[in-house]
This record gives sequence, structure tokens and C-alpha cells, in this order.
Amino acid sequence: MPTGCGPACGRGEGELGLPPGRVFIFSRFKSSTVKECIHAILKEKLADAQYVPEEVPQLTKSLSEIIKDRLKEEGFDRYKMVVQVVIGEQRGEGVNMAARCFWDADTDSYAHDVFVNVSIDCFTIGNVKLLLL
Amino acid sequence: MEDFHPHNDEMIFNADEAHNIVKECIESVLGKADYNHNKVNQWTAAIVEQSLTHLVKLGKTYKYIVTCAVMQRSGAGLHTASSCFWDTTTDGTCTVRWENRTMNCIVNVFAVAIIL
Repeated sequence: MPTGCGPACGRGEGELGLPPGRVFIFSRFKSSTVKECIHAILKEKLADAQYVPEEVPQLTKSLSEIIKDRLKEEGFDRYKMVVQVVIGEQRGEGVNMAARCFWDADTDSYAHDVFVNVSIDCFTIGNVKLLLL
Repeated sequence: MEDFHPHNDEMIFNADEAHNIVKECIESVLGKADYNHNKVNQWTAAIVEQSLTHLVKLGKTYKYIVTCAVMQRSGAGLHTASSCFWDTTTDGTCTVRWENRTMNCIVNVFAVAIIL
């Protein structure tokens, strides 16, 4: 699988069929790949986890670090990324989350995954935004 | 890339300024409201959209990501964390926590510089 955009990366001046000034990116971010990646990590780390209030701050932090590091290995070389993890206890309360982004919709994108842990009444939202450098 | 030094205000994200903008938006939307399941969707959308509009009006060369979570207060815990892979010299983040009697609101702003 090609990683990075090395020689395949260039300014689109017509020859690549791109409008002038647009950049051709070989390792373009695929939302589905990232979603799978987040899902796998959440499943792996949270399947047997317990909701211990004292440990959750550390858990949210480490999850966001793990997701970031895993995605760096995926080789989206030219992307900056923002990873956000939210863990909440489920006690029947309502939660609503929204996001809006001001960016280049051709190159930048996001992926998210929600993991609900029924046994311990807790939900986790993993949220990744990738922005082209 | 060689050492890059932001050379003007446009390349510096002012977290305090963003904090004030977001706080005003939350207050204008949630104000004295009580948690209402039917309205919360509309509220979160309004908060992120207004905040984003105001941030963009600052006219800086930044891309922005604004997220907002509203949670009904029931004594349940909520934790959020984020980790970013970006250029710390230009990019920045700001978090605003707001609460009233019936709900908690957390807004996150991520600003990523556009290098022209």
C-alpha cells in the first residue's frame, strides 16, 4: 500500500485533471479506514473495562493518544489530526454532540465511532478530524 | 520544513479571545433555558455555528473545528480528552465549560493554521 505522497504528489496544473492550485494527494484520508481503526481500538480497550471514576480521566487521555499514534502509523503523512474522546456514564440522561468545521472539504475530513458498553452503563465517542497540511 | 516563526498576529491563535467568543455564544443560546430533549439538537447546532461564524470573522488564516456537547445533569460522569498531531507553534485549542441547573455544556475549538 502506498504511503506518503512522495513523487505522486504535485500541483494540479491541468495535467492531472485538477483545477489550478489544487494539490493531488496520493494517500488521501479514507473515512472508512479511520472509522475501522477507531472502532478496533475502542473495542479492544473497553470491552472488559470497568467504570471507575478515578481512572476514567486517565483512560480518556490514553485512548486519544493511542488513536493518534495508530493513525500516524497509517501514513497520512501530509495530514494534521485532532482526536477527541468522550466517555460518559449512562444514567438515563440525554447527551447531544455537534460539530461544525471551517476547512477545505476537498481534502479535509473526519470519522467517528460510538462504543456503548452495556454491562457497565457507559458510552464512548471517538472522534477524529484530519486536515491537510 | 525549516524552523517556522509566525511573523504576524494572523498566525497566532488567541485562546482567550476564542474563549470569550464561545462563552458569549453559549450564553446567548442556552441563557436561562432548562434541558429539553426536543430542543437540544437545535441548541448544539446553534452554538457551534455561531461560534464558528464569529471565529471566521476574526479574519485569520485558520481552519477551525468546533465541537459542542450538551449533557443533562443527572450526577453521571462525563470525561473528554483530545490529542492532536499538529504544529504547536501556530495551531491551538480552547475549551469552554458552561453549566446551569439542568445541563452541562462543553465546547472545544481547534484552530489549525493554513500555511500559504
